[in-house]
Amino acid sequence: MKSRQRTFLLMTIPALVLFFFFHTFPLLQGVFYSFTNWRGYGEWDFVGFSNYLNVFQDMRAWSAYGFTFQFAIVSTILVNIFALLIALGLNAKIKFQKTLRAVYFLPNILSILIVGYIFQFIFTLFLPQIADFLGINALATNILGSPDYAWIGVVIMAVWQATAFNVILYLAGLQTVSEDVYEAAAIDGARPWRRFWSITFPMIAPFFTINMVLALKNFLMVFDHIIALTGGGPGYATESISVLIFRGGFEGSQFGYQSANAVIYFIVIVAISIFQLRVLQKREVQQ
Amino acid sequence: MKWIASLSIVSTLLFVAGCSNHQADDGKVELELFSNKAENIGTYQKLIERFEAEHDDISINLYAPPDAETLLRTRLVKDDMPDMLAIGGSAIYAELSQAGILVDYSGDPMLNGIQDAYLSMISELEGPEQTGIHGVPFAANANTVIYNKQKLDELNLEVPKTWDDFIYALETAQSAGEIPIYFTFQDAWTTMPVWNSISGVLQPEQFATKKTEGALTFAQTHQEATGKLLTLLDYGHDRMYGIGYDDGNRAFAQGEGLFYFQGNWAVPEILTTNPDMDLGVFAMPTTNELEENKLVSGVDVLFSTLKDSEHPDEAAAFIEFMLEEEQSEQYMAEQAAFSVLDGVLSDDPYMSGIRDDFAEGSITSFPDHFYPPGMGVENMVQEFMYRKNADDFLNRLDREWDQIQLRF
Repeated sequence: MKSRQRTFLLMTIPALVLFFFFHTFPLLQGVFYSFTNWRGYGEWDFVGFSNYLNVFQDMRAWSAYGFTFQFAIVSTILVNIFALLIALGLNAKIKFQKTLRAVYFLPNILSILIVGYIFQFIFTLFLPQIADFLGINALATNILGSPDYAWIGVVIMAVWQATAFNVILYLAGLQTVSEDVYEAAAIDGARPWRRFWSITFPMIAPFFTINMVLALKNFLMVFDHIIALTGGGPGYATESISVLIFRGGFEGSQFGYQSANAVIYFIVIVAISIFQLRVLQKREVQQ
Repeated sequence: MKWIASLSIVSTLLFVAGCSNHQADDGKVELELFSNKAENIGTYQKLIERFEAEHDDISINLYAPPDAETLLRTRLVKDDMPDMLAIGGSAIYAELSQAGILVDYSGDPMLNGIQDAYLSMISELEGPEQTGIHGVPFAANANTVIYNKQKLDELNLEVPKTWDDFIYALETAQSAGEIPIYFTFQDAWTTMPVWNSISGVLQPEQFATKKTEGALTFAQTHQEATGKLLTLLDYGHDRMYGIGYDDGNRAFAQGEGLFYFQGNWAVPEILTTNPDMDLGVFAMPTTNELEENKLVSGVDVLFSTLKDSEHPDEAAAFIEFMLEEEQSEQYMAEQAAFSVLDGVLSDDPYMSGIRDDFAEGSITSFPDHFYPPGMGVENMVQEFMYRKNADDFLNRLDREWDQIQLRF
C-alpha cells in the first residue's frame, strides 16, 4: 500500500506546485503590495494600513460595492428561478428533448464579450426602434444610457448568458431523483405542485445550494459583462468592484491601493461563500 | 472558407507580434514602435515602408493594440517596454516621463521650429518636480464644434463668434425644428469634447497644479462652466444619453443636428459615412470676449524613445524621418491632423474654420490632459450631464482629486 500512496502523492505534487506558484504566490504578493504605495513600477514605500483606511472613505468603492451586490443578488435569484424552471421542463417527457437541451445550453458556449456586444446593439438600436414603432415612449431610449436603469440591462444579459450552466446542474440533480418516489406520491394522491415542493425540491437541495453559491460568486466577480455593455457607465452607475480594481490599478497606476481593495473584496467573498454554504446546507435533507 | 482565411491571418499576426522583440536573423535592427491610436495605423504603415526602403538595415514593427494605454501600463509593470512610443501628450505621457524611463530631448535640434505653445504644454505635463522634454511633438489635434454647412445656410446663420451668437444659432435651429446639437453621451469620453471646450477656456491658468497644491477647488472655479453646460443641454435631443461615438458620427453624417461636439479626428469618420457632406469646424465661442475664446488643442502624437532601448540612434533616425516635410505633410493630410511646426498650416478645406486660431497661436490646452489618471473625470462629467446637479458634481471632482493624492 505504501508505494501506492507514494504514487498518489507524486500525482498531486505537480498540481500543488503549479497552484502555489501561479495562484497562491501572486495572492501573497498582492497582499504584500497592499501595504505599499506602489504604482506598478518604480520606487515604493510601506504605508501601513493607510490604503485600507482610504478604501473605506472612497465613495467610488462604496458605489461599486453597492452596484455589485445589487446586481449579484438579483441575478442569482433570477438565474436560479429560470434555471430550475427550464430544467424541470427539459426533464419532463417532451418531444425533441435532446435538441432542446442543446439549444438551451448554447448561451453558455458563447463568449460573454460577444454576447455583450450583441445585447448592446439590441439595447441601443433594436429595442428603441421597436418601441418607436409600437409607440411606447418609455422604452424608446437606450436603457444603458440611464444611470438609474442601466444595471437592469446588465442583469438581463447576465441572466440570459448564465442560466444555461445552472440548467445543466439542475438537470443532473433531477436525474438523481428516483421514479419510485413519484409513483408513491401519485398513489397517495399528491398533486404536481405538492410533488414539487415536498419531493423534487428537497431531493435536489444539494444542487440548489451549489447553484446558489456558484452563481452568487460568479456574479460578484462580474467583469466582462460590464466592459462589453457599459464600460462602467453612465457615470459610475454600473462599475463593479472587479472593474474598479482593474481600472484604478492599471489605468490609474494605483497598484498598491487597489491591491488593498482586492484583499478586502477577497475576504468579503470568502465570508459570504462560507455563510451561504452553512445556511443552505442546514436545510438540505440527509439522504 | 473566408473565416478560416481570416483566422489564419489573425494567428499569423499574433505570432509576428509575439516575436517582435527578437533580433532578426539577417542582422537587421528591429525596433518596436508602440502607438496608442487606431485611426492612423494605415498611414504609419505606408510611412514605415518608405523608411525601411531608405534604411535597409532597420525594420520597424508597429504595434497599435486596442485599449493601448492600459496595455502599456501593464507592460510597464512587467518591465517589458517597446523601443519607441507614439503617444498623445496627455496623462500617460506625464506618467511615463515622471517614471524617468524616457529619453530627454531638451536642447535637441529636432525640437527647433515646433510651436512654443505645444512645447510648454509638454513641459507643464512633466509636473512640478522635474524639467525636460521627453518627447518630440509631431501632430496636434483640436477640440472643435463640427457644423453642417448646408443647414447653417438654410437657417441664414453665420458661424458664431461669441457665446450669445452661439445661443442665438441654437434658438434659431430649435424653432426651425432642427436638432441644434447632436449630443452623444453614451460613451463617457464623448461627453468630454463639450466639457473641454468650455472648461478649457474658463478655468484659471495652471489649474491642475494649483488644485493639487490645494490653492483652488473646482467648486470655486468651475461654476460658470457648469452653468454654460446646463444651458447647452437644453438644445440636445431625445436620445442623446443612448447614443455613442460611432452612432453619433453616423447620425450627424446623415444630416441629424446642426452642431456636433467632437475633435477634428471625427471628421474623417463622418466623411466615410457621407463623403459628400458639406461640413466645417470652428472653435467653441465660450465667452463674449473675442480674445478670450481660444481653440482647445493638444499634442495628439509625440514620438519618444525609451532610455533602455538598445538602438537609440536608429530610433532617432526614424523620428527625424517622420519630421521631414514630405512625411509630415502626408500624415497631416491623411489624418486631417495639424502639424506642430511653426508656420505650417493645414490647407485642408474642412479645417479652414480653425486655421486662423493656429496662425495666431490662439490656443489653449485640453484641461483633461492634466487631470490625474484613473480619476475617471469623464464618468463624472457623463453623470453630471444626466443628473444636472452642478454642486454635487463639482464637490465630487474635488473630493476624488484629493483622495487620489493620498494613494501614492
